[in-house]
Amino acid sequence: MSTTAVRAEAPARDTLAQTALSLPSRAVAVFSGPLGLALKILLLALVNGIAVWAAIVLADAGKWPAFAVLAVTTLALDAAYLVRRALPLKFLLPGTLLMLAFQVIPIFYTVNVAFTNYSTGHILAKNEAVEGIQLNSLAPLENAKSYLMAPARDADGNLVLLLVDEATGDTFVGTREALTPIERDKVQVDELGVAGAEGYTLVTGPGLVAIDRELTAYTVPTDGAAAIRPEGLGVASELAPTLRYDAARDRFVRISDGVVFTDNDRGSFAAASGEELEPGWKTSIGFSNFSRIAKSPLVRDPFLRVFVWTFAFAFLAVLLSFVLGLLLAIALDKPGMRLQRSYRTLLVLPYAIPGFLSLLVWQGLLNDDFGVVNRVTGLDVPWLFDSNWAKVSVILVSVWLTFPYFFLISLGALQSIPAELTEAARVDGGGPWQVFRRVTLPLLLIVVAPLMIASFAFNFNNFGNIYFLTGGGPASSDQTTAGDTDILISYTYKLAFASGKGQDYGLASGVALIIFFIVATISSLAFWRTNALENIR
Amino acid sequence: MSTAEHLETSAAVGLGTRTRRARRRPRVLGGTWWRHVLAILVILWALFPIAYVTSAAFNANQTLGSATLVPERVTLDNFRYLVEGEVPGRPGDPPTEVPYLRWYANTMIIAACTAVLTVLLGALAAYAFSRFRFKGRRLGLLALLLIQMFPQLLLVVAIYLIVLHTGAVFGFIGLNTLTGLILVYLGGVMGVNVWLMKGFFDTIPAELDESARVDGATPAQVFWGVILPLAAPVLAVIGLFSFIGVVNEFVIASVLLQEQDKFTLARGLWGFIDQKYSENWGTFSAGVLLAAPPVVILFLFLQKFIVSGLTGGAVKG
Amino acid sequence: MSRRTAFGALIVVAMLAMIAAALPASAAVSSGAAPGGTLRIWTDKDRRADIDRIAKAWGARRGVTVEVVEKGFGDIRDQLKTVQPATAPDVIIGAHDWTGQLAADGLVLPLSPSAATRKQFPKYALDAFSYGSTVKRLYGAPVALENVGLVVNTRLAAVPKTWAALERAALAFKNRNPDNLAIAVPQAPAGDAYHMYPFFSGLGGFVFGKNRAGNLNPRNIGVANTTFLKNASMIDRWDRLGLINSKVNYDTAKNAFLKGQAAFWITGPWEADTLKQSGLRFRIVQLPKIKFRSVPFLGVQGFMVTRYANTHGVGTLAKDLVASYIMTASSQRALAAANGRFPANLTAGKQVRDTVLAQFGRAGQGGVPMPNIPQMSSVWEELGGAWLKSTNGTATNARPTFQTAARNIRTKIG
Repeated sequence: MSTTAVRAEAPARDTLAQTALSLPSRAVAVFSGPLGLALKILLLALVNGIAVWAAIVLADAGKWPAFAVLAVTTLALDAAYLVRRALPLKFLLPGTLLMLAFQVIPIFYTVNVAFTNYSTGHILAKNEAVEGIQLNSLAPLENAKSYLMAPARDADGNLVLLLVDEATGDTFVGTREALTPIERDKVQVDELGVAGAEGYTLVTGPGLVAIDRELTAYTVPTDGAAAIRPEGLGVASELAPTLRYDAARDRFVRISDGVVFTDNDRGSFAAASGEELEPGWKTSIGFSNFSRIAKSPLVRDPFLRVFVWTFAFAFLAVLLSFVLGLLLAIALDKPGMRLQRSYRTLLVLPYAIPGFLSLLVWQGLLNDDFGVVNRVTGLDVPWLFDSNWAKVSVILVSVWLTFPYFFLISLGALQSIPAELTEAARVDGGGPWQVFRRVTLPLLLIVVAPLMIASFAFNFNNFGNIYFLTGGGPASSDQTTAGDTDILISYTYKLAFASGKGQDYGLASGVALIIFFIVATISSLAFWRTNALENIR
Repeated sequence: MSTAEHLETSAAVGLGTRTRRARRRPRVLGGTWWRHVLAILVILWALFPIAYVTSAAFNANQTLGSATLVPERVTLDNFRYLVEGEVPGRPGDPPTEVPYLRWYANTMIIAACTAVLTVLLGALAAYAFSRFRFKGRRLGLLALLLIQMFPQLLLVVAIYLIVLHTGAVFGFIGLNTLTGLILVYLGGVMGVNVWLMKGFFDTIPAELDESARVDGATPAQVFWGVILPLAAPVLAVIGLFSFIGVVNEFVIASVLLQEQDKFTLARGLWGFIDQKYSENWGTFSAGVLLAAPPVVILFLFLQKFIVSGLTGGAVKG
Repeated sequence: MSRRTAFGALIVVAMLAMIAAALPASAAVSSGAAPGGTLRIWTDKDRRADIDRIAKAWGARRGVTVEVVEKGFGDIRDQLKTVQPATAPDVIIGAHDWTGQLAADGLVLPLSPSAATRKQFPKYALDAFSYGSTVKRLYGAPVALENVGLVVNTRLAAVPKTWAALERAALAFKNRNPDNLAIAVPQAPAGDAYHMYPFFSGLGGFVFGKNRAGNLNPRNIGVANTTFLKNASMIDRWDRLGLINSKVNYDTAKNAFLKGQAAFWITGPWEADTLKQSGLRFRIVQLPKIKFRSVPFLGVQGFMVTRYANTHGVGTLAKDLVASYIMTASSQRALAAANGRFPANLTAGKQVRDTVLAQFGRAGQGGVPMPNIPQMSSVWEELGGAWLKSTNGTATNARPTFQTAARNIRTKIG
């Protein structure tokens, strides 16, 4: 601790200030003049060079919108750094561009999704969906035949299908026009299927890849709309469409009963009865997701309870983490205290282990019948299975995960508080607690308050903690789907990804947007209250 | 003294006092014994689950949370599998390839790059917010915080699609690339980190900049030459946070990285336990334990910056 | 513009020209797109080696290159929804209960194996991969079967012939030692309707009823059907006696059985190796009939052809691989063995010599395939939660709990 001793005998204020003030002049010497300028130009040239190269690639790939964005961005960058004005911009641009690309654009994307029906059954484009419906609607006829098949070429080189009826052993040649019987002994069949036929050349090996698209679309008409289609390379089936697509009127008609399925503007072809054809497609549906959220009893009934708990959870987790972190920072901010380095390192360890693992471990440890916590302490606490205890557990574990963060921050922040201030307060006659409350804490909060608000918002959306620890449980006494420890985001997950037909990204994005507004409002209010913004010098 | 006065003086008192801070602080809250008690109690609580992870790592039985802390049969097999890169399969089957060391290297590369660039880019922005007065400054600061409040869980899909489409044209920043993942992580630079740094920059007396400017330094020179060196503690904290953040990050990594060779530690290790009924908890725990040392070493290294700040260095220099 | 900036701009222009010239534009385009005639398969870790071997043997015969990509099992389904056509798979491995979702999404293609091939598979295995409200079609080639059974430690208890015998033996064993479990079946922390299904079906419960066409009807929910509700009081009794304890999680159940602290364990073939290596003497049977036959959920894994096979121009090739080649007895044997499951192909099934797998197979007789309609995702949590709550030792009344679950499922399906 020799350096500490030296520093404790720090030189008088003037000398120190001088030493510090000599820094800039030295820095100026290094960075001014041609070297600094050359560095700047080099960097800018590099950016431009990459941009031009990227532009060539984009143009090559025909991605013109991306090309335009790139061009505008690069020009803006050049302008910002070559023009003397817009000084702050020069410092803000690099981070801001990255933020735009990977935070803001995804947010816009999500907002956009909130107005679509993007969900299970609605992920294709409309033309792909129409194609899918037609494929899915092909059905084997009653007594439909299935054939052993081999693609072959006739004497003229036309693609035909050599077919052997599986049931009867009758042999045929199928063309796009018709199914023609041929003599059985002309066709050789072995255990692998059709092995050859007189007058025809089987398509084999690499030739198969070449005819794949042709074969996929190949139909041998049999009876009415029915046709034999290759189903692979050794089998063909007789299938008939059950739906007819009327492209001109953009609708499907069911052949058996004439029921008409029209575009319902919600990404499906639907009959008057409400029956929908699958697959549907992704389309914009306006505010439907939001009205669904507003109307759904699944959301309405437990909303207030879940909201209150979400708030309490986020608030308490942050507050307790901060208090504990600060307490530890103060405790270990004692010159000459033995072991303090070791303590600090050990305290940071929870932070060095991936969070999801810690949560899974805690979940096992807290099991009330079989968990270690009850065994070691001799308690019989229903940590995860009682509504109130589960909430306590969730908060405790969250504090466990978060306090090292506030510990580190406080440790650093305490250093920046001038000793003169605390000393002055002491001279004024303040006790240790008074000094802390009147001087240290307010100064600390200037730095820490925004972080606490950010941490609050993070916990407000802390899906992982709930999901891995309690899964939202235990089941609530109000009998809704929301469990007692479900927070808004974990409940959203249940609504959007474990109900209905599975994944509903549209709905999930809608709820996320609403949650965002809630947490942003609370946080803005908190800013206003703590005057965090007012303290910007 | 009122709080407001303190705030004003805190800036005016200047650099000289910053050195002495804690060293001279009187015994505010009594002797040291309570400090030890508190620290030890919290450490016990903090290490309690980690002790079980350690136990699982040395246990031959591949389960977690078995009721005993002492492994029934101590083995180093789990560590050996990871180092050798092969976990034995079921009897008669070939072993599963686990490029653990590769994941380790990937993680270190990504974490180091992300941490350094986060500090650098974040500090640039924080400097602007701290030292310049410009239109939209307050709004910008608030926006930085608010943007990060959007539920991240949902953004993952969009991020995946962006990287997917970018990658289709520029393969080197697409899916399964470390560069792509680093870029995505850097998207989070502007946010609470900038706030934290700005808060510290604000405590660096403006007289220092001003006198440098009088000497003819440009803002860029003030930033590099004055602010950055003086802000070492907060830079160290931010660097540590983003390093740890990357090592622990799992959701985005698992969406963007799909090939074994490109996995990060968290993503790769998840593979041991993601199949519900055939987990390899022991190997998984061993992998997690081996991931902790770099973080701890980094912390030990940065600790002196975090705790003592740069002013001490200035005196020495 | 000052002179300095003008100078800077000049250098910028010069530099960028140099850099642009140095970088070949083609280097940027990713090599993601497969060249023509490549068939891409997404598979899980377990089957990677075997599908590699089987598909490449097939590919050599058909003159097509096969590329096998390994993915996490669950990732296969999720990533298929967002994958870019250029890198999309032509064939995937999957679980039968994905069928409804993937078919409704339009991501998988219907298959028509030959009549001879179909005959080699049990009807339920093909049904499990069949879906469609108007036209029911097959979307997957079954490969492996799995289901849970009652594993009995025969040193600690006799194999029970009746439910009453099981109850007696399990409770007697539990009362011997406070650490013992009566029936080790995992539920904590979030409920596990899959492992609990034999108890559910034994009391007359079912998830979805079928309509006249034989399709599952999402409007007919059997979670709280009258027969089941009549028998629900039995659950209250089990809870009181501690026959089933919902605080048991997967590891607790497994450890208890392996350490001899449970004589009865509900688990599936994924633990076959653990069982064999445990040194315990055990037998696997179907849970004895409670009020009805206590059948488990059946899970079927298999291969599907994606819509991208057609866009990549390998549609018929992919169908040939999946609906013909993979469905043959020899492929089936290898693929099922690869992750320790019973093969779906009947001929291959007869050749299984592994007694543990065979016992699990028999424990699944009469079982119910997990519903493959997408609405099933509304069920898991509610049904698991109802069991969790009514067997947690707090004397909750099971009847209203299951009624609530049924009501919630109905609301969720909407």
